[in-house]
Amino acid sequence: MRRRLASMVRKEFAQLLRDVPILVVLLWAFGGAIYLQGHAASTEIHNYPVVILDLSRSAASRELIARLHAPYFKIVGYVGSDRELVAALDLARASVGIVIPAEFERDVVAGHGGFQVISDGTLATSATIAVAHLSTITAEYNQFLVERAAVAAGGTIAAIPTVDARIRVAYNPNQTSAWFSSILELLNMTTMVSMLLTAAAVVREKERGTLDQLLVTPLRSVELFSAKIIPTLVLVLVLSFLSLVGIIRGAFGTPVRGSLVLFYLVTALYVFAVANLGIAMAVMVRNVAQVMMLLILILFPMLFLSGARFPPETMEPWLRYLSLISPMRYYIDFGYQVLFKGNGFAYVWHDVVGMAVIGAVTFGFSIIRFRRLFHR
Amino acid sequence: MHSRMVAILLKETRELLRDPLYLGLALGIPLLQMVLFGFGLTADVKHVRVGVVDHDRSPYSRDYLDALVHSEYFDFVGLARDPAEADGWLRSGKARVVIDIPPTFARDLAARRPASIGVNVDGVFPTFAEIIVGYVTAVNALYNQQLVTTTFGSRAIRMTPPVSLNVSIWYNPSLESKNFIVPGMIVILMLIFPALLGALLITREKEAGTIFNLYASPARRIDILLGKAAPYVAVAFLDYLLIFTMSVWLFHVRFVGSFGLLSAGALLYAVCTVGTGILISTLVRTQLAAMLIAFLATVTPAFQLSGFLAPVASQDPIGRIAGALIPATYFMDLARGSYLKGLGLDVYWPDLAALALFAVAVYALAWSRLRKRIG
Repeated sequence: MRRRLASMVRKEFAQLLRDVPILVVLLWAFGGAIYLQGHAASTEIHNYPVVILDLSRSAASRELIARLHAPYFKIVGYVGSDRELVAALDLARASVGIVIPAEFERDVVAGHGGFQVISDGTLATSATIAVAHLSTITAEYNQFLVERAAVAAGGTIAAIPTVDARIRVAYNPNQTSAWFSSILELLNMTTMVSMLLTAAAVVREKERGTLDQLLVTPLRSVELFSAKIIPTLVLVLVLSFLSLVGIIRGAFGTPVRGSLVLFYLVTALYVFAVANLGIAMAVMVRNVAQVMMLLILILFPMLFLSGARFPPETMEPWLRYLSLISPMRYYIDFGYQVLFKGNGFAYVWHDVVGMAVIGAVTFGFSIIRFRRLFHR
Repeated sequence: MHSRMVAILLKETRELLRDPLYLGLALGIPLLQMVLFGFGLTADVKHVRVGVVDHDRSPYSRDYLDALVHSEYFDFVGLARDPAEADGWLRSGKARVVIDIPPTFARDLAARRPASIGVNVDGVFPTFAEIIVGYVTAVNALYNQQLVTTTFGSRAIRMTPPVSLNVSIWYNPSLESKNFIVPGMIVILMLIFPALLGALLITREKEAGTIFNLYASPARRIDILLGKAAPYVAVAFLDYLLIFTMSVWLFHVRFVGSFGLLSAGALLYAVCTVGTGILISTLVRTQLAAMLIAFLATVTPAFQLSGFLAPVASQDPIGRIAGALIPATYFMDLARGSYLKGLGLDVYWPDLAALALFAVAVYALAWSRLRKRIG
C-alpha cells in the first residue's frame, strides 16, 4: 500500500511541478502578492488628506493648523476660496476640508472662536476616526489656550489638573500596517491555494476521464484521496515558511513572536481541512466551469467573513454566527494570536478545536463522496 | 467581416444559454453575496470590549470611567483584579483595550496635579486599534477640557472652551457604512466574476481542441476576441443592473448621481474585467491554470488597491502606482462618486478615459497573444 501511495504522490507532484504557469502563480501568490500587500493601502488614518481654507491668516489660525500633522493628517493644499475647497473634496484630492473664518483670532481672544470642518463621509469609518482626531486636537488646543490665559492671569501650569492618557498600542506600537497586511495576505493565500489546488487536481482527472483509469487500478480510494492532498500540503507549508521568513520577517521586519512549530502544525491541520473542502466541491461537479462557480460561492464569503477586514464586532449577529462555520475564521484568529501576540496553545486551543471539527466534517463528507465514485 | 464577429457572438451566446445552471449561477451568485454582505457587514465600530483595572476606586475614577464606558462605542467586560488579569484579557482577545487607573488618580486631581492613566490597546488589527485610540483620546481630551474649565470656572476666567469645532459631514451625512460598502461591493463583484468567466473562454477551446476550428476559420483575431467577450460583458452588465436595483430598493443606499453615467462606467468596466479574463486565457493552456491566475490576480487587488476601505490619497507610493494600474480604482471613484456625490461627467471623465484606455490595452495584449497558428 505504501508503494502505491508513494508512486501516486510522485505522479501528482510531477504533474504539479511540470505546469509552469501554475508554478509562476504560486510563486507570485507567496512572493509578489504578499510584498505588494505590505505596501498597499493602509486601512487606518495615516496621512489623511486635508485641505485648508485659512481666511484668518493669523497667529491663532497658524497655531491651530500646526497641530494638524503626521502621522494622522497630511495637508495636501491651501486654497483661496470656497469653490476650490469644494473642488478638492469633490475630486477626492482631500478627505477633510477646514475653513478658518476671517475673524477667528478676534473670536478666540473673546472666548468664542470657531472653525468649520467638512468631512467627506464616503468612507464612513475613516471619516469617524478623522473627526475623533480633530476633536482631540481642538480640545488640546483649548487646554493650551486656557492654560496660557491662566498663566497670563498669574496662575501656574502646575496647578492645572489634567489626565494624561498614556496610550500604548500593544504588539504593534507604531501601527505599522505592513505587519498586519503581509500576514493577512499569507493567511489568505494559504486558504485560497489549498482549496484551489486540490479542487483542480481532482477536477482535472474528472474532465480528462483519467479518473476512470485510476478507478480500475489497484489504488484504494483512501490512497488516491491522500495522493491528491499531500502535494498541496507540502507545497503550501514550504512556500508559507519561505514567505514568512523571507518576506514577512525579512522585508517588512514583522516580529514573529510565537512558536513556528505550533503555527505550522496547526497550519497543516488547516490546509487539510480546506483541501478537503476543495475535494468535496470537485467531486460534486463535472467540469472546471462548475467547480469555479462553487469555489466563488464558498471562498468569497470565507474571505469576507474571516474577521480580518471586518472584525467580528462589526458584523450583524446572524452573520457573526454564520461566519463560525468557516474554518478561516478560526485560522485568522489563530494566526495572529500565535505569530503576532506570541500566544501559546492555551490561548488558541478553541481555534484549533474549531478547525479540527470542521476538518473532520469536510473530510467525512469528501471521503464518502469520493468513495461513491469507486462504487458506481 | 462583421458577420464573422456576429457569428461567433451568436455561437457563444447559444453556448451560454444552453447551460442554464451556469448562467443562473453567474447571475445569481453575485446577488446572493450582495445580500449577505449588504445586510450583514456594517464596518461600524461599536461594542469595543473594554476592560478596566481601577486601583483608585474613587469618585474621580468612576467619573472618568463613566464617560468612557457608557458611550455607545464601548462594551464594558469587567473590572480586573490586577494588571496581570487585564493583560490576560488583552492577550486572549476578551478585551480589545484595557484602562489602568493608578491609585494616585484622585489624590493627584484633587491636588490639582496632572494624573496619568494607562491605556493598553490590542494592536493586532490596525484599523481597529486606530479607532480605539481615536475614541479614547477624544473622550480623554473632552474630560480634560471639562476639568480645566470647571477648575478655572470657579475663578470666573472662562466657563466655555474658547474654540469650538463645527463639523459637517458631506456626501454621506449619516455616516452609514452601507453607503460605502455596497457601491464598493459592486466594484469588487464586477471585477472578480467577469474575470473568472472570461478566463475560461479561450482556454476551454484550447483544451477541447476546438480552437483549431477558429484558427482555420476566416474569422480574424479581433472578431474572435470581441465575439467571445460580448455575451459575457452583457452578463456582467445585467448583474450590475440587478445589483444596482437591489442597492437602491432593498438596501436603500443613498444614490444622488446620474444613473446614465454610472451605467456607462459599469459597461466600460465590464469590458475591462471580461478582457482581463480573456487576456489570462490567452496566456495559458489550461482552464485550471487560467482559473487559478484569475482568482489570485483579482481578489487581492480588488480589496486592497482600489480604495475599497481607505482613501487612495493616503496610500504609499508603491500601493498608489499599483492601484493606478488596475481598472477597479477608477470605477471605485466613479461608483462611489455617483452614489454619494452626484457629480457629473465634467468630474468623472478622467475615470471613463482611464477605463477606456485600460480596455484598449488589455484587448490589444490579448490580440497579440492570440496567434492564429499552431505551436
